[in-house]
Amino acid sequence: MAVVDLPAPGPGSGAVPDPAGPVAVGGFSLHVFDAGLACCAVEVSAALRCAELLAGPGQGADLGGSAGPDLGTEPTGGAGPGEDADPRDGSAAGNGSAPGDVPPPVSVLVVAGTVTDKLAPLVLAAYRDLPEPRRVLSFGACSNSGGPYWDSYCVTKGTDQIIPVDVYVPGCPPRPEALVHGLRLLRDECGEQR
Amino acid sequence: MSEMEPRGAGSGLDAGELPPRSRGVIGLLEENCTVCMLCARECPDWCIYIESHKQTVPAPDGGRPQVRNVLDRFAIDFSLCMYCGICVEVCPYDALFWSPEFGYPETGIGALTHERDRLRDWMWTVPPPPAHDAGAPLPREAQAAGPGAGPADESG
Amino acid sequence: MTPGETLAEAARQLPAAQCVIETGTGAAETITMDVPRHDWLAALAFARDTADCDFFDWLTAVDELDQGFTVVAHLYSIESRQHMLVRTLVPREDPVLPTATGLFRGAGWAERETHEMFGVVFDGHPGLAPLLLPEGFEGYPLRKDFPLAARAAQEWPGAREPGERQASQRSRRRLVPPGVPEGWPPP
Repeated sequence: MAVVDLPAPGPGSGAVPDPAGPVAVGGFSLHVFDAGLACCAVEVSAALRCAELLAGPGQGADLGGSAGPDLGTEPTGGAGPGEDADPRDGSAAGNGSAPGDVPPPVSVLVVAGTVTDKLAPLVLAAYRDLPEPRRVLSFGACSNSGGPYWDSYCVTKGTDQIIPVDVYVPGCPPRPEALVHGLRLLRDECGEQR
Repeated sequence: MSEMEPRGAGSGLDAGELPPRSRGVIGLLEENCTVCMLCARECPDWCIYIESHKQTVPAPDGGRPQVRNVLDRFAIDFSLCMYCGICVEVCPYDALFWSPEFGYPETGIGALTHERDRLRDWMWTVPPPPAHDAGAPLPREAQAAGPGAGPADESG
Repeated sequence: MTPGETLAEAARQLPAAQCVIETGTGAAETITMDVPRHDWLAALAFARDTADCDFFDWLTAVDELDQGFTVVAHLYSIESRQHMLVRTLVPREDPVLPTATGLFRGAGWAERETHEMFGVVFDGHPGLAPLLLPEGFEGYPLRKDFPLAARAAQEWPGAREPGERQASQRSRRRLVPPGVPEGWPPP
């Protein structure tokens, strides 16, 4: 067998996809960090890679009027096709925000998969490294409460045992579309707190 | 947000697009439940909580009064549920059904334990059972009824 | 070497070994060799050198209760596509076995995991530290007398009889959910 030189994985090398960029959900720009620990990671990856899914039908109508993102390219200010707002002047269009009132991007840590006792300190460290404002979305049964491994000797019974969780998405694993529902609930919660 | 609104819709995914027997959520048809507790015992996650009491039903015309179980509480903790379907399969009275609804995230983990009123609401989203595969053996009811009683033989 | 030839050679080199050929799915034959503890390294060396099983797949243990622990190694010959299971029994009071890392470097992590899960000590292992369990974990979790604490602490919803509000007081057997030994936790 011939020896093949494989490309070294890393951001921008083309061997590994770049991390998911800003996602526009109803005027808020969410930076989604996927802590893909187990099987649920596959569903989250499927959701975050599919711009069409995040945009929804009619180019973002279901996400509160914001344009669906072309992941990782331009920063989102809430302006979509067909709207007159120019994102360069810093106005957040759609949802009735005042001009110039651009909400800071919200960092969302999506914990997808089983959190074992050995890995728990790393999840805590990832949460601590998130810039404010930050939210946590728990994706899947294992992350919500330990799930099918609730009785195991080495599984943390839910991410909320170590970090505060804002939204819980049930499922084993939840559909990628369920992540969209969870992000929408997070949007509503962010909107209420402003 | 209306509780009756099927939240699976509107995400760019119609319920009709989901494959048959999709496992989204479990619905409870309370009328069929006899509180046999099989689902609670067989659930590997221990996520079904059932409370009940016995009620004596007087029989008409001086017959012997019967004792039956009355369901007080039937809750499924969907934060624990792993959607294995053991409860649906083991129920001898067909009180539990699969529904493809999947959009029910919550902001608090306690809110993921759904009581029987919400489980009943999900019953209305349960699709009709899919048709049998071509070439599959007839269901037992048709076999027991004898030849000529199968669905393919309407004139028999 | 055909499986039959391997068995003949094993009978010659390792007279204390007991070998069985089993046909699994897809007509893949597995040779299962049971050896006494003192022949453990010799059996692994035989598998690697004589039977051409140069691929080390996994090594683990089975808790046989009073008899001790069965340590099992799965080896594979890429050339002849021959599976081999090499097994030995170590007593419970003295679960010590020489390390296989001298023959197969890949056995390093497998022996670490077997040590932390069952308590089997591998003499001569370069670093028998825990691999998967968090620091400060006490006990050997995959032993059969290690109960699942969460099951004993949580009330089993199935402990109730139909028509009763609380766990049944009459049939005490039903109060113990599956997976929890009788009489645990100790009063």
